[in-house]
Formats: sequence, C-alpha cells, structure tokens
Amino acid sequence: MAKAVPPALPEPAQIRSFPVDTRGLIRVGARPGFLDYLVQLWDHREFIFYDAKARVQSGNRRDRLGSAWLILNPVFNGLTFYLIFGLLLQTGRGIANFIGYLIIGVFIFQLSSRAITNGARSIQSNRAVIQAFNFPRAALPIAVNIRELLAGVPVILAMLVLILLFPPGEEITGLWLFVVPALLLQMVFNLGVGLVLARVISTINDVTHLLSFALRVWMYSSAVFFSFDNLIVNETVLAIVKLNPLYLVLDIMRDSVLYAMVPEWQSWAVLTVWALGAVILGFIFFWKAEESYGREQ
Amino acid sequence: MAVSSDLTEGLPRKQATVVIDRVSMTYRVHSTEVRATAGRTGILGRMRRSIGESPIVSVYALNEMSLVVERGESVGIVGRNGSGKSTLMRLISGQSNPTTGAVYASSIPIMLGVNAALVPELSGDHNIVLGCLAMGLTRNQIGERFDSIVDLSGLDKSIHLPMKSYSAGMSSRLRFAIAASIDPEILLIDEALNTGDAQFRDRSKRRMDELRLQAGSVFLVSHSLETITEMCTRVIWLDQGDLLMDGNPAEVTGAYAGFARHLSKGNNQTASKMRLEARQKLIATQVLERTPGRRSA
Repeated sequence: MAKAVPPALPEPAQIRSFPVDTRGLIRVGARPGFLDYLVQLWDHREFIFYDAKARVQSGNRRDRLGSAWLILNPVFNGLTFYLIFGLLLQTGRGIANFIGYLIIGVFIFQLSSRAITNGARSIQSNRAVIQAFNFPRAALPIAVNIRELLAGVPVILAMLVLILLFPPGEEITGLWLFVVPALLLQMVFNLGVGLVLARVISTINDVTHLLSFALRVWMYSSAVFFSFDNLIVNETVLAIVKLNPLYLVLDIMRDSVLYAMVPEWQSWAVLTVWALGAVILGFIFFWKAEESYGREQ
Repeated sequence: MAVSSDLTEGLPRKQATVVIDRVSMTYRVHSTEVRATAGRTGILGRMRRSIGESPIVSVYALNEMSLVVERGESVGIVGRNGSGKSTLMRLISGQSNPTTGAVYASSIPIMLGVNAALVPELSGDHNIVLGCLAMGLTRNQIGERFDSIVDLSGLDKSIHLPMKSYSAGMSSRLRFAIAASIDPEILLIDEALNTGDAQFRDRSKRRMDELRLQAGSVFLVSHSLETITEMCTRVIWLDQGDLLMDGNPAEVTGAYAGFARHLSKGNNQTASKMRLEARQKLIATQVLERTPGRRSA
C-alpha cells in the first residue's frame, strides 16, 4: 500500500472553513443507543427468520445423509457413553431408566453445545455479510440460535420417540409439556452465552480453540451420563454443582419425562435467572462493540 | 497560510450530505521484513521471534483530511494504486472505522461494488432475499424488485443453484445486482472492482446511470478519466494517502493525466515536482462545528 513514513508535503495554500451543522447528520457506522438497537433488531426480524430458515435447509447438504446427522450424532454419542459408562464403568447403577437418562443428557447437551459454538462463531464466519450490509450485528447470533431451535424440533421429537422405544418404555403424560418451556429457557441462555463469546472471538480468535475444552468441562459437570447424587458426598459441593443451568434443564426434563414428577419450582427459578441474566448481559456486552465487528483493525 | 472563513461565511449553503472531518487511516499489520525483526533484542523479543510472531508495522493509508460534499455533487476520485482511493471509499461507506476523525452523512451511504459478499451455501435467489432484507427492504418491496434483480444479474436459471457453484464473474454480477436494487441517497461506486463481460458492463452502466441521477451525492472511483470528467462535478486527486487537488473535473483530471504520463515515461523528477505544485495550490477544507460541544470526538 502506501509507504511507511510520510514524506514532507507542502502545506496547502489556503484552508477554507466550512461551517457544518451536524444535527441532521449521522456518524457513519456509529453505534445506536441500546433501546434504538433493540428496535433496529426488531425491524430486522424478517431478515433474522429468513437467515435462520434458509440455513436450516442448507445446513447439512454436504453430507449424504443430510439432516439425519442431527439425530444420528447424539445417537452415536449416546451409544459410546452407554458402552463406556453404562456397561464398563457402571455409572448408571442406582439410576432408574439409565438409557432414558442418558438419551436426554446427550440430546439436550448437543443442542446447547451446537447453539453456543455456532453462535460464538457467527460474527467471525459472516465477515463478508457484515462488510456488505448495514444491519444490527446481533441479528447474526440471534439467527443462529433460532436456526438451532428450528433444527432442534425434530431432534427433540426423535429423543422422545427413542425414550418410548427403549425399555422400560415411559408413558406419555401431560408432564411432557414441561419440555417446551425448559427448552426455551435453555435457548435463551445459549443466546446470551453466544453473544458474549461472539464479541470475544471477533477480537481474540484464539478463544475458539478453548471453546471445545470449555464445552467438554461443562458436559462432565452437567451429569449427562451419571448422577451427582451417587458420586458427590459433600453437601455444599453438590449444591454448587446443581446450580449449573444445563444440569437444571436436564433435571427438569428427566423429572417430567422419565420420572413423572413435577419439576421443583426452585429449578425453574434458578434456570430463569440464568437465562435472563445471560441474555441481558450478552446483549449489552455485544452491543458495546457494535462498531468493531467485521472491520479491519 | 491564512485561515479565512470569509470565503464561505454568510453565503447560503446547500445541505451537506457527507462531511469528512479530520479523517485518517492507519493499518497495523504484520510484516515479514527482516530489517524490522532484526531490531528486536532481549529475551522477550527473541521469544516472540521464535514463536513466529512477526513484528507489527504501521501503514499510513490515508493522512488526515477533511472534505464536505453537498447535495447534487458527484465527486470523482483519482490517484495511483495505493493512493488511498479505496480506503477513503471504505471509510465513507462505514466498512472501516477511521483511526482518527469521523465521517458524517445525511443517510447511510451505499457502496456499489462487487465485494458485497453473500452466503455461499445458499442459492442465488435465497441470497437475493437475504441481501435485500439485510438492507432493510420489506418482503413486498423485494417481491417487486426480484425480477429486475435477476435480470440485471443475467443469471437466468442458475439463480436457483447455490452460490458456491458460481464462477467469479457470476457471483460478482449477482452481488452488484443486489446492491443496486435500492435507491440510495448517497451512492459510492468503485469501478475499479467492476468485472464482467461486455454485455453485463452495458447493463450495469445503465443501472449505475439511473442510480446516479436519483442519488443526492455520488462518489466515483474509476480508472477511466473520461468517465470521471463525463460524470462528475468535482474531482479530488489522492496520492500516497494525501489530498493533492480538489476542484473542477477538467482541471484535476488534466493535472493527474500529466503526472501519470511523466511517471510512465520515467520522468520521476518532473512528476514529483507536479505533485508538489498541485499540493501547494490546494485549498483545503476545515470543518467548523455550528453546534459546538455536541459531537463526541
């Protein structure tokens, strides 16, 4: 491009002052106020939904089995865990309907891990779209989460069918409807985390490498294929571990689907606090750096 | 040099559409230059070198300049490669943030070029809807314009294939057609980026002419001085990131053509003298705030 050191150029002959009233003008690329930002996002709702829908359809086109992988993936994951933890290490001892317990764990964890990973990468992987068009950038992580929710519907149905198929074959009860609000709270939480990570990764790309490790730690601490009650003796540690939002989602779903129990209100309350806290924090944190996305530093 | 405000004060002014206020652009990039690395001593420097971290150098792409463009003006930008033309366009369109200063505009400037990258996995028609939604059009407006966008892109039946199957020319035509589908008040055209066969050039030129006539202000980068003189009411000459001339098209393109001719003949001294002369005659702009204290610097 240009040289490294600017050579001396003569001063201009004259400097003409230009009185300008900037009141009618907007600063190009400026970040709007937080409420204006939310309004702008609402105005772009059609863009968000279209982006989510279009990418669900084209998501797995490169694989021969296409979208079937959304279901096959957790099935194989579950099978692996069943072989190692269920048969070999017998972590399932003392858990009623361990297969159902495992299926819910693996399927629901996959939803969160996909949503968070893709949400976190949404800014970095859409640089081209960001540079081409002016729209509130939070539209991209939101679209990713809606896409994951849409793609998650058949996955959840498959999960419920599998639970019905495997012995002891739970009965369908009205309690199964609790799956819906639990899932929504889970997605809201995922969106919040995705927004925070999207901003972090847009400046420090190295974090993508750490993300998979963090998700693995999260999986092990969420009781996906074992039960804390059998393992942890210390009461305080157990109480802390049970504050984990994903553990709460799994607990609520297992209670309502497998054990025909109404989930405790405390679980709902803590999960709601997690979800709302994450999404509010996520939006504010993401919005603060709105001007920097997709830009050359 | 004298700062005179009497030139403009008191005169009835037209409305400013684009105000470039003390804008400069410095890129910080990694350099592979050995000389820059050799200067690094001490343990820290050696450590950095050994993990392959290259030194960061500053590239001055655009030195501080101010410009005010009013409604009805068509501004041509001329200069050699690396003179800062594209950087200036990126700053005006908001694709880059200036290192210092700010760009104000009366509405969001739209850049017409072929760098409006889209989503490769999606088909051409999905990309049209997505791109238009991102620009803030409604579904009805898109429905009205869809056919003309497809016509302009000249893609016919290929519009239903995924964009990653397109040739470079095909996708740049589609990008142009999408970007050209809205009627912006402030239009930026970077012709240097324009590609395509003769047939498409005709079509795109017709559309550009239409847009140019509707737009309040136009910025045009072109390597064809003929196009610039023909289309613009004002021309600026940039060289190595500095503003050299700002004036009527015939005068500026004439000076630039002379400069380029001497350069190509190898008369570097004559050329650099012309460069200095042009700068000495420059009447630079200084932006005066009419409502002081409003802008956050």
